[in-house]
Amino acid sequence: MKYELVAGFETHVELTTNTKIFCSCTTQFGGEPNTHCCPVCIGLPGTLPKLNRKVVEYAIRAGLATHCEIAEISKMDRKNYCYPDLPKAYQISQYDKPLCEHGYVQLSNGRRIRILRIHIEEDAGKLVHRRGDTLVDYNRGGVPLIEIVTEPDFRSVDEAKEYVEKLQLIMRYIGVSDCRMQEGSMRCDVNISVRPQGSEQLGTRTEIKNMNSITFIAKAMEYEYSRQVDLIESGEKVVQETLRYDDATNTTSSMRGKEDANDYRYFRDPDLVTIHVPRERVEEIRASLPELPEEKKQRYMEELGLPESDALLLTKYRRIAEYFEEAAEGTNNPKTAANFIIGQIFRSVETETEKEAFDVAVSAAQLRELIGLLDSGKIRMNLAKATLDKMLETGKGALELIDEKDMGGLDEGALQALCRQAIEANPKAVADYQAGKEKAVKAMVGYVMKNSRGKADAAQAEQTIIGLIKNA
Amino acid sequence: MVTKEEIMKIAILSKLFVAEDEIDRLTEDMQEIISFADTINRASDAEGDFDSITGLSNALREDEVVPSYDRERILQNAGDSDDGCFLVKNIMK
Repeated sequence: MKYELVAGFETHVELTTNTKIFCSCTTQFGGEPNTHCCPVCIGLPGTLPKLNRKVVEYAIRAGLATHCEIAEISKMDRKNYCYPDLPKAYQISQYDKPLCEHGYVQLSNGRRIRILRIHIEEDAGKLVHRRGDTLVDYNRGGVPLIEIVTEPDFRSVDEAKEYVEKLQLIMRYIGVSDCRMQEGSMRCDVNISVRPQGSEQLGTRTEIKNMNSITFIAKAMEYEYSRQVDLIESGEKVVQETLRYDDATNTTSSMRGKEDANDYRYFRDPDLVTIHVPRERVEEIRASLPELPEEKKQRYMEELGLPESDALLLTKYRRIAEYFEEAAEGTNNPKTAANFIIGQIFRSVETETEKEAFDVAVSAAQLRELIGLLDSGKIRMNLAKATLDKMLETGKGALELIDEKDMGGLDEGALQALCRQAIEANPKAVADYQAGKEKAVKAMVGYVMKNSRGKADAAQAEQTIIGLIKNA
Repeated sequence: MVTKEEIMKIAILSKLFVAEDEIDRLTEDMQEIISFADTINRASDAEGDFDSITGLSNALREDEVVPSYDRERILQNAGDSDDGCFLVKNIMK
């Protein structure tokens, strides 16, 4: 029998606010344990949480960027569970009135992953387990999160990978999170079940918790899919449970711990007043959103005539797109800027973090200047390429690096003269060419380029040389 | 009606130890509390939304960092501490 995978995602995204969700402690990553804490975020009795305005704004941005409806009235609830990562023995979250609902993320295969809800909540502290005891650090406790919950709309691991990448890209574009999975600022829980192909009924699902890399998510899903299929094939039943993925062994295992009873006894947090989001505010936030990656990509293809592969690479990080747009502005052909960036400039940024910051030695304005010289015919492509390499090395501008006498093209007479010299200096190449080795002409073109310091047009030089040899 | 089983479940959730001879009394108490809540629920039907009695909304804070507390003060009420952390008994089985 053939089986179909069905999966849904719950993604926690840490918001890049300066302060925590309910107190004014910093959200900075790292720091000595328990140095970013105050009585509110360590849950001392008698303290009063106060909601960070920016958390609400950021969550609304995230909601709008994923086509959600924004609730006019929303509130905070207490989710009760007893575990040392929560000093209050409850997490302040949202239960029945989340800020955002009913959105979607569009996949490249045309399918839409529906978003059920996006709500705001506080992160928990960090536990370090030792033999016999556990150390608790509350620096992360109270850091604002949004939780993005999808419907069980995924039908393949590839769809899941694309969704996580898209979500990461969108959240970075709208500036609400850096989504660094390795630092835990984006974490995914995956609900997964299998069913016979064609069946409408959902199978029993398991939940794999807290995965912080796209590779692990893919591997865990593949493993869990085969494990469930094997169980069903051998006549056994899938047990609904929470699993942990172990990347060392590439297996999932049952997680015991906080669930004793999955009874969170949600109730409204009486310390926090109603959140009212006026409709005008929603429209203001909508108007302030930047062009989203998907829209940008379409525009690059339709208006600027870039191939899809280029458009995809240039829109993958917001800074790169901004850089490209600034460099290409007012130039004759955006493809030139795209080629320089994807070809030579990308070589100087290797890691994800470097690409995200895109802090390259050549500024967008400097690249635009170089393209300007090319557009106006003052320099040729080969000189432009060589100059760009020097610019990347030195950080200097094109005008500083290109000698005045290398500027401007060669006039007809000068080109003719150089081509004659090339022919005289390369008797063997001439003989080879006459003997039918067409490639031999390249040596002479090389001579012309070298001696014109890149000012000659290679194609024009080649035609001239061939003409001279034939008419000799 | 509140059952003894429910009382035991709540006790486990609350990490409370309940002795055998306390269960009956606690079940009665809980029943009274629930009845009282039912009374309130009936009243709210007539008077509108009691979900938030203050009627307040949007008590929001600006996103400006205030220095955190010294770690010694944060840890001063901890039952036990080590390496700048709160120390608790191992909870993972």
